[in-house]
Amino acid sequence: MLMKTVFSYAKPYKWPIIIALILMLIELSVELIQPLLIAKIIDDGITAGDRDTIILYGSIMMGLAIVALVSGVTNSFFAAHAAQSFGYDLRQALFRQIQSFSMATFLRFPTSSLITRLTSDVTMAQNILFMGLRILLRAPLVVIGSLVMAMLVNVKLASFLLIGIPFLFIFLFVMARKGVTYFASVQRRLDRVNRVIQENLQAVRLIKSYLRGVYEGSRFSKVADHLRKDTVKAFRMMELIMPVLLLIMNGSLMLVLWFGVGVVSTGDAQVGEIVAIVNYAFRITGGFSMFSFLIVAFSRAQASSVRMEDVLLAEDDREVIEPGVVENGEEKRGALSFINVSFHYPSHPESVLSNVSFTIDPGEKIAVMGATGSGKSTMLNLIPRIFTATSGEILLDGKNINDWPLEELRSAIGLVPQQSVLFTGTIRENLAWGDPEARVDELEAAAEKAQIHSSIQRFPANYDTRVGQKGVNLSGGQKQRLSIARALVRKPAILLLDDSTSALDVKTENALWEALEDERSTMIVITQKIHTAQGADRILLLDEGEVAAYGTHEELMELSALYRKIAESQLDEEVAEDGKEHQETLRLRTDH
Amino acid sequence: MEKNIRKPFGYEPIIKREDLKKGSKRKKEEVGDWKKALLNIWRLVDEQRGLLITVLALVLISSILTLLGPFLIGKTIDNFIIPMKTEGLATQIGFLLAIYAGTSLTMYFQNFWMVGIAQNTVYKLRAGLFNHLQKLPVSFFDKRQHGELMSRMTNDIENISQTLNSSFIQVFSSILTLGGTLAVMLYLSPLLTALTMIIVPVMFIAMRWITRRTGILFKEQQRAIGELNGMIEETISGQRIVKAFSQEQRMKEEFAERSDKLRRTAFWALTYSGFIPKVMNMLNNAAFAIVAGVGGLLVLRGDGIVTIGTIVVFAEYARQFTRPLNDLANQFNTVLSAIAGAERVFSIMGEDEERDTAENNGDIQLKGDVEFRNVSFGYAPDTDGYTIDDVSLHVREGETAALLGATGAGKTTIVQLIARFYEVDKGKILIDGIPIDELPRTTLRSQTAFVLQDPFLFEASVKENIRYGKLTATDEEIEAAAKKANAHEFISKLEEGYDTMLTADGSEISQGQKQLISIARAFVADPVLLLLDEATSSIDTVTELEIQAALEKLMEGRTSFVIAHRLNTVKKADTIYVLDQGKLIESGNQTDLIAQKGIYYNMLQQSKL
Repeated sequence: MLMKTVFSYAKPYKWPIIIALILMLIELSVELIQPLLIAKIIDDGITAGDRDTIILYGSIMMGLAIVALVSGVTNSFFAAHAAQSFGYDLRQALFRQIQSFSMATFLRFPTSSLITRLTSDVTMAQNILFMGLRILLRAPLVVIGSLVMAMLVNVKLASFLLIGIPFLFIFLFVMARKGVTYFASVQRRLDRVNRVIQENLQAVRLIKSYLRGVYEGSRFSKVADHLRKDTVKAFRMMELIMPVLLLIMNGSLMLVLWFGVGVVSTGDAQVGEIVAIVNYAFRITGGFSMFSFLIVAFSRAQASSVRMEDVLLAEDDREVIEPGVVENGEEKRGALSFINVSFHYPSHPESVLSNVSFTIDPGEKIAVMGATGSGKSTMLNLIPRIFTATSGEILLDGKNINDWPLEELRSAIGLVPQQSVLFTGTIRENLAWGDPEARVDELEAAAEKAQIHSSIQRFPANYDTRVGQKGVNLSGGQKQRLSIARALVRKPAILLLDDSTSALDVKTENALWEALEDERSTMIVITQKIHTAQGADRILLLDEGEVAAYGTHEELMELSALYRKIAESQLDEEVAEDGKEHQETLRLRTDH
Repeated sequence: MEKNIRKPFGYEPIIKREDLKKGSKRKKEEVGDWKKALLNIWRLVDEQRGLLITVLALVLISSILTLLGPFLIGKTIDNFIIPMKTEGLATQIGFLLAIYAGTSLTMYFQNFWMVGIAQNTVYKLRAGLFNHLQKLPVSFFDKRQHGELMSRMTNDIENISQTLNSSFIQVFSSILTLGGTLAVMLYLSPLLTALTMIIVPVMFIAMRWITRRTGILFKEQQRAIGELNGMIEETISGQRIVKAFSQEQRMKEEFAERSDKLRRTAFWALTYSGFIPKVMNMLNNAAFAIVAGVGGLLVLRGDGIVTIGTIVVFAEYARQFTRPLNDLANQFNTVLSAIAGAERVFSIMGEDEERDTAENNGDIQLKGDVEFRNVSFGYAPDTDGYTIDDVSLHVREGETAALLGATGAGKTTIVQLIARFYEVDKGKILIDGIPIDELPRTTLRSQTAFVLQDPFLFEASVKENIRYGKLTATDEEIEAAAKKANAHEFISKLEEGYDTMLTADGSEISQGQKQLISIARAFVADPVLLLLDEATSSIDTVTELEIQAALEKLMEGRTSFVIAHRLNTVKKADTIYVLDQGKLIESGNQTDLIAQKGIYYNMLQQSKL
C-alpha cells in the first residue's frame, strides 16, 4: 500500500488534521462568497442608491476578511502541529526500530543511509502532509466544483472539457510513478554524498597526512555530480507535467470554441453560456496546475516512504529488550562455557570461529591469545550477543545466553572494545554509561581502578571536562582507560577486555592489572603480551578460529608450539640480555 | 482528542522577548548576512548567467503569452461565436493553439534550463564547501560533531536547492504579473488603485513582524536539524557500544529530547511562516471590500469618477493582483529558509584555512632532518595549559627516534606537530633547517607517511585502501607493499582477495589486520619522513616480529619517529626520547639510558614484571 505504514503515524493527529481542513474550507468559502457580496453591493446598493446597504455589505466583507484571517492563522497552528508531530513520531519510530536492530540487521544498512532516512526522508513525508493540509483539498475542490458548475451551465459544451480529463489522469499517474523511481534514486545518491562526507570527517588526519585533500575533493565531486545529474533528471521529468497539462486543457478549450459556433447556431446554447464555460475552464486549468506541485511532493514522499518502510518493516531478527525483566534477581556468578561454537559474519561465508569449546569458572581470569585475525574479538562479541553464534551454544551460569533476557545478560557484562568509542559529553556522562544510577564515588572508584582518576583530576574541569566526538581531545591511552572505567562502573559479573591496554605504557598497565586483581568478576582478556597472559589463570590460544590450546602458561609452554613461538617472540631478546633476572620474574608472576 | 486540540497552542515559545528587543541590532547583522549569502550564491551562478538571462526572457514571453490567450478567446467569442461565423474560425483557433503550444514550450524550457542552473550552482556550492573543508585545520574538526557538519552539506544545501529550483522563476513571473496588473489598474482608475494601495503599508508592517520571527526561527530550525544529525551520526557509528552497555533506552530518550527541540522550532517556524499567505489573503479580501464599499460610495456621489463598470472590472483585477502577491509571499518563506541554510554553509566557508604562508616554490626534496627548538604547544593553552612544554630535540637525516612515556605524555602530539596538523604556540620546528611554517604543506606532507593510532579504512576495496598511500601505485606495487607489511597472506585468504570490499563497520577484518593494511599503505607511499604512532599495537607479537625486519628496512634511509609501548620495538632506535607530562626528561640510545638508570631503566625493569 502507498505510504500506509508511514502515514499510520499521522493517525493520532486525526483531529488537528480535520480541524485544519475545516479551517481551510472556511477560508476558501470566504473567498468564494466575496464576488456574491460585490454583486449585492452593486445591485442593492449602488444601483438602488442605498448608502446603508453599501456600508453594511462593505462591513460584512471586512468582517469576513477577518474571519478568514482568524481561521487561516488558526489553521497554521493546527497544520504545523500535525505535520511536526507526525514527523516527530516518525523519527521516533525509526530511531527506536534502529536501536532494536540486531547487529546483523544493523549492518545491512550503511550508516550514512540510516542518517539520510532519519532526516531527509522524514522531511519529505512531513512536507506532503503539511502541503496537503493547505492545498491538497483545494485543488480537487476547485476542479470538481468548476466542472460541476460547467455541466450545470451546458452539458453538451462542458462535455468537451471532459475529453481531455482521462488523458490527464493517465498522464499524471504515469508521471507520479516515474517520479517515485527518479526521486528514490536521488535519495540513494544523497546517501552516497553523506557517506563520503562522513568518511572524510572520520579520516581527517589520514587524509591530511597523505595530502589527499584534492583526491578526496574529486571523489566527492563524483558523488555530488551523480546527485546533481539525478536531481536534474528527476526535476526535468517533473517539469513536463505543467506544460502538458496546460496543453491538454487549452486544447479542450479550443474544442469548446470550435464546436461552440455550431451549438450556438442550432440554438442549443447561448453565447453567455460559452463565456461561462470558458471561465470555468480557466479555473479548472488553474486547479490542475496545483497538481504539478502535489505530484512532485507526492513522488518524493512516496520514494522516501519506501526507504523508511525498509527500516520500519525490517522484522527479521530484532532484539527484544525489555528493561527491568530479570529472571533471577541473583547476581550472576559468571560461569561461562562455549560448546562447539561456530560463527561467520552474515555478509561473508568464511567462518571466523569453528567449533570453539571451553569453560571458565566464576571469578577465573582467562587470557586469549592468537594471531591477528584469529577470531579473538569476534569471540568476545558473541558473549553479550552483539552477534549471535551461527551454531553451538554459549552458557552463562549454565543457561544458554539466548535464553537470558538480553537486558539482563548485557547488564552482567562489561565490554571494553578494542577501539575506544566515547561520546560527545562530559567524562562523567561517559562513565555513567556503565550504570546510569552509579553514585559519584562509584564512578571515581572505577576511574581509580582504571588508573585514570588522577589524570582526570588534572583536567581543567575534572569529571565535567567535555569529551569531543569519539574522544578526539584525549590521548589513545586516556580513551582506553576511560573505556575500561566505564565497564568497571557496571560492576560486571563478566569483564571482557579486548586488547584494551595496547596504548598504555608498561607502568600504568601493571598498575591496572594490579587494581583488577581484586575484582571478583570473571575476566576474559585479549592480549598480545605474554606477561599479561602469565597473570591469568588460564590461557586460551586461538588459531584461525579454532582453539589451539587451553591451559596455564606452563602447560602451554610445554604443549603448544604456537604458544612457545609467541613467547619466544617476546622473550628471546630480553632473555638474551639478562636472562637470569627474567626467569625470576617469570616465577614471581606465576605465583599469583 | 482534547489534548491534540489544545496542544497546537501549548508549544513552548522559542523566541524570547529579549531576542526581539535587541532585534534592531540583530536585525542589522542579519540583513548583512543575508545580503552576503545571496551575493555568494549569485557568484556561484557565474558563467551560467547567460543562460539565466535566457530563462528570464522565456519567463517574460510565457507571461505575455499567458495573458494573450484569454484576450484572444474574448476576441473569438466576439468575432466568431456571437455572429455565428465559421469562416476564418479555423485560422483563429489554429492561431490560439499555436499560442498555447508556445506557452507550454516556453514554460517547459524555462524550467528545464532553470533546473540545470540551480543544480549546477548547488553542485558547485557542495563541492566548494567540501574542498574548503579539506583545507581547514585539524583543530576545526576536533571541535565539531561529524553529523552536524554533514547536515550542512545535505539538509542546508537542500534548502538552497529547492529555492533555486522553483522560487527564482516564480518570483520573477510574480513580479511581472504584479507590475502588469498594477499598470492596468492604474489605467482603469488611479483613485481606486490608490485606495487599494492602502493595504501595502499594512502588508509591509505585517511582513516585517513575521519575518523578524521567521528569520530567527529558520536559523534555529536548521541548527536543531544539525544537532539532531550530529547525535544520530554518533549513535549509529557507536552502535556496538550502545548495545554492549544496553544504553538503547538512554539514546532513545536523548534522541527524543533533540527531536522534540526540532519539532518545537519547526512548529514555530512553520506557524509563523504560515501566517504570511493568510495575511495576504486577508489584505486581499480587505482590498476587495474597500473597492466595493468605498468605490460604491464614490459612485453614489455621482461625480462620474468611478462607475459601476469600473468597480466590476477593478474587482476582477484586484483579485488578479493578489494571486502573484500570494505566490510571492509563499516563495518568501522558501527563500528565508534557504537563506538560513546558506548562512550556515557560508559560515564554514568563512573559517580560516590552514595557514600556509610559504610559496610553493617547486618540489623541494626533503632530506629529513627534524629539529624541535623549545617547542610548546597546547590544544587550548589558555585553559588546559601546554601539552608539550619546552621540548627540544634533533633527529638527523635517516635516524630513527622512539618516543616513550606514559599515556598523555604528549607523544602523539609531537608527531602531529611534525605533520603540521597544529601550529606550535612557542618555539620552532625546523625541517632540514627550514622553519616548518615556511615549508609548503604540500612539500612536507607529500614526503611524510603517517601511520595512525586508529587505523582508518575506507568503504572501498582492500586494494584501493592500500593505494591511498600513492594514487599511482600499480597492482604489483600494492601487492609488494602488502607482502612487506605481512598483509598479503590474510588478504589472499579473503573471499575476493585484494578486491574484497570493506564495509564501514569493518567487522570482516580484525583491528590488527587493519593496522597491517595501513602499514602497507605507508610502504606504498615511500616517504622521506615516517611517523609511526602505535602502528603495531594490535598486531600479535609473532606477526610483529615478522614485520619488524620489514619495518626496519622501511625505516632505513628515512627519518622515522616511532611511538610504541612494547620496548622491543623501541630498543633499536638511534635515540630514545622519554616524555613525561609534556616535558622531555631523558634522551639517548638504549645503552646510554640503561647506564643512566633513570626512568627508561625503570620502565625496562617493570616491563619484565
